[in-house]
Amino acid sequence: MKFTMQREALLQPLSQVVGVVERRQTLPILANFLLQAEDGNLSCTGTDMEVELRSTHTANVQQPGRITVPARKLVDICRALPDGCEIVLEQQDSQLLINTKNSHFTLSTLPADEFPDLEQAENLQHYQIKEGDLHQLLERTAFAMANQDVRYYLNGLLLEKKGSLLRAVATDGHRLALADLNEDVTGGQEEQQVIVPRKGILELLRLLEAGDDEISLGIGSNHIQVAKSGLTLTSKLIDGRFPEYEAVIPPANDNEIIINRGRFRTALQRAAILSNEKFRGVRLEFSPDAVKIIAHNPQQEEAVEELDVQHSVPTLSIGFNVTYLLEALGALSTEDVQLKLRDANSSCLIVEPGSERTRHVVMPLKL
Amino acid sequence: MSASIQRLDQQLINQIAAGEVIERPASVVKELVENSLDAGASEIQVDIERGGARLIRVRDNGFGIAKAQLELALAPHATSKIANLDDLEAVASLGFRGEALASIASVSRLTLASAAADSDAAHGWQISSDAMQPQPSPVSQGTLIEVQDLFYNTPARRKFLRTERTEFQHIDDLLKRLALARDAVSFRLTHNGKVIRQLPALKSSGEKLSRIKLICGSAFADQAQHLDIASSGLALTGWVARPAFSRQQADMQYFFVNGRLVKDRLIAHAVRQAYRDVLYHGRQPAYVLHLTLDPASVDVNVHPQKHEVRFREQRQVRDFLFGVIHRELAGQQVPVAGESLQQQDGKVSLQVGYRQVPLSQGLSPGLGQRPSYSSSAHSPSALADAQAAYAYLAQSAQASGQTAAHGSEPGLDNADEGGREAPGAEVPPLGYALAQLHGIYLLAQNAEGLVLVDMHAAHERVVYEQLKQTYAQQGVRSQRLLVPHSINISEREAAAVEQHAESLQRFGLQLERSGPEAALLRAVPALLAKADMEQLVRDLLSELVAWGESALLSEHQDEMLSAMACHGSVRANRKLTTEEMHGLLRAMEATERSDQCNHGRPTWLQLDMPTLDKLFQRGR
Repeated sequence: MKFTMQREALLQPLSQVVGVVERRQTLPILANFLLQAEDGNLSCTGTDMEVELRSTHTANVQQPGRITVPARKLVDICRALPDGCEIVLEQQDSQLLINTKNSHFTLSTLPADEFPDLEQAENLQHYQIKEGDLHQLLERTAFAMANQDVRYYLNGLLLEKKGSLLRAVATDGHRLALADLNEDVTGGQEEQQVIVPRKGILELLRLLEAGDDEISLGIGSNHIQVAKSGLTLTSKLIDGRFPEYEAVIPPANDNEIIINRGRFRTALQRAAILSNEKFRGVRLEFSPDAVKIIAHNPQQEEAVEELDVQHSVPTLSIGFNVTYLLEALGALSTEDVQLKLRDANSSCLIVEPGSERTRHVVMPLKL
Repeated sequence: MSASIQRLDQQLINQIAAGEVIERPASVVKELVENSLDAGASEIQVDIERGGARLIRVRDNGFGIAKAQLELALAPHATSKIANLDDLEAVASLGFRGEALASIASVSRLTLASAAADSDAAHGWQISSDAMQPQPSPVSQGTLIEVQDLFYNTPARRKFLRTERTEFQHIDDLLKRLALARDAVSFRLTHNGKVIRQLPALKSSGEKLSRIKLICGSAFADQAQHLDIASSGLALTGWVARPAFSRQQADMQYFFVNGRLVKDRLIAHAVRQAYRDVLYHGRQPAYVLHLTLDPASVDVNVHPQKHEVRFREQRQVRDFLFGVIHRELAGQQVPVAGESLQQQDGKVSLQVGYRQVPLSQGLSPGLGQRPSYSSSAHSPSALADAQAAYAYLAQSAQASGQTAAHGSEPGLDNADEGGREAPGAEVPPLGYALAQLHGIYLLAQNAEGLVLVDMHAAHERVVYEQLKQTYAQQGVRSQRLLVPHSINISEREAAAVEQHAESLQRFGLQLERSGPEAALLRAVPALLAKADMEQLVRDLLSELVAWGESALLSEHQDEMLSAMACHGSVRANRKLTTEEMHGLLRAMEATERSDQCNHGRPTWLQLDMPTLDKLFQRGR
């Protein structure tokens, strides 16, 4: 195998893929990239056996071939080389030589045939959607995923296709985030429901950009695949049953408050400074014409924020983990947000006024 | 073919009864010595030959048995200790079943000789299991019982006897326990003619530790903290070892209820709970404790060997034991009025006059009453409001603010000077900081000599105790779950859920029974919101079923706080100024349980002048 590439052209696919390669490995080959040079293209693959990323870029291929090399070392070398230089990569026996005009490196390799292949992604239903839409969908929900919870099915994000609706739902058992795709999705199966593992979602969030480019989303029974120009992410799915999320979303009720998102957010951020560092409790006190945010910490210090707003919530005092509120507010984009509450023991629904496309449910903290 | 039903003869009945009570030579010794104690003896001599298999002889100077009653003494179900059911319900003597002598006599050659204290005869009388006619005996006062050839007629039992050494070991252990229970009685134990143990009677309570030293070793005696507390009909006296003296095995745990040694699960659990925060995993506490209560409120007739007892007010006893020992170990150093102690733990009312100086025995009690070194003004302000007791230190610091300002210049001399300057200065228990060693240890000088402090371990405990206190003050926060979590449990556990739902809610755990074998978790303690709650709930329920209570939730919360404390305390290699070191020492003095770090290791060590002199062979 031998090919030549411009430093920047090589670095782009490599740094896209390197994120999926875990830093600590028990299987040495998982620390490697699979490099395949053929037909004027270089494709670079990284995997952690759950998520696989493949990036393809044109290259000047002198001699086709396949080999695996230590991923982070290769990326670090390319990054450290001077801008714009030409890099020649050449396999010699069981080593890979990296040569520029003045720098020469030799990396060890492992045979390409040993590189693990995610089982063939089969029976995928493909949907064409805009890159920016998918990015927004994930951005508005991913933060609510659980992390290393024993309920393994919460350590991921539910992707659901229902008729022409594509919906994402995530929850950690204390709060829930739900978002529907802006535009209708056509084709494919009538109903599909899969749980994508946390890591796959975080990688997708990193790789997707805002914009109107069409990308392909493939959903199968065991895999999900997202393909954008030159880049393919394949992830296994979590085999489990996601909780009945619809039952959790509170039905409409009259106790609503519309509040400026920015003001609410900054007020919460200030109050949070004096909230308990472990469970971050703040209390919202609703009185006619005003809302107070009150926080205490174990040192008996206190923060009180007052917001003048009109609302129809009766006098009510309710506690929340301020992180949950802040993250929910951060995942909305309108100027105002709408809060719907019932009582101190019931969940709070946060939405954009007049739209139910994005819904955040936060359970109260009993203070 | 079936055998016809027939009445067993008396000898066989006795032998069956003996199977329950007389298990090995040590059981014989137990029954006989307890009889002697019940007879008011003040001197007891036990002679053993060949591990008790050949001879067990118990001699006492108690009030004896009259000639006319000798024969009856060997009859089954005959006793002088109780007469009717009322007596049984309020048994104050060690024995009461009236079975021991008959049982022993049925499996050995027994000779009973006695001279009753109130008889006029100059000599006593004796009978034996072979010759039931009283014969004159040279015994003068008290009773002498000889048990020869134990199990000679029950070869099966005899085969189960261990080696002579092991059997004697059991007897020795047993006598140790009995001796711990009765200080005023002298004991003497011989084996094959050699004196093995000689424990003189103790006249005053001040000597009590000397017997403990003889029995439990001086290591225990050095580390033992005395306690003597009475409240609402319960009295607990004895010694608990400081956590630094813990054991691999539970072999130094002596607990007496009304003078009777018991091995009760409830008691062991209560004591273990009290040690929970200061012992690391798997280590066993050591203690010698006497619980005294109204005999009517404890049922000893539960177990033939009377190892187990049942308390009428189980919960009260448990709470009392836990409260007293827990507080003892906490080492309340600054004498605040009993009022504020009661506030912290409503269950236990501490008697005035009970005070412990755990930091160093040599110092007079009442540490906090003398003006303390002023540097506490520089310690974290959280400290000051953390403890009512500490407020005193802060006050005195303000009072001598001038000194504090002066002391802020670093330097060894300065520290010393600052100490002397404090009005009416006496050296605080942990003394004044001298220097820091390799960024890990803190050296300080106190009245005794040199104090070495593990900086991180000590600060970790200080921060941990503050956190615990502030969190306790703040009350419980409970995070509601979005989707109630259904947990499958056993029916007994489900019943426990119903029973304890309210008390669990006070810990922030909302759990409801949702079926015969299922429960629904609706809210979890906010501190533990990220924990594996299902596992925790399961463990919690199994403890609730087993003990009727569980400290698991607070244990887990403490673990969380302990981890927070670890992050929030100074690490090794952090350079401390003298002022900071003083701050730490004063904070340690004001903190409960500061003798051990969160993991049960000691936080400080005293090298006193005699020890140092010895190291340098001075003054020899």
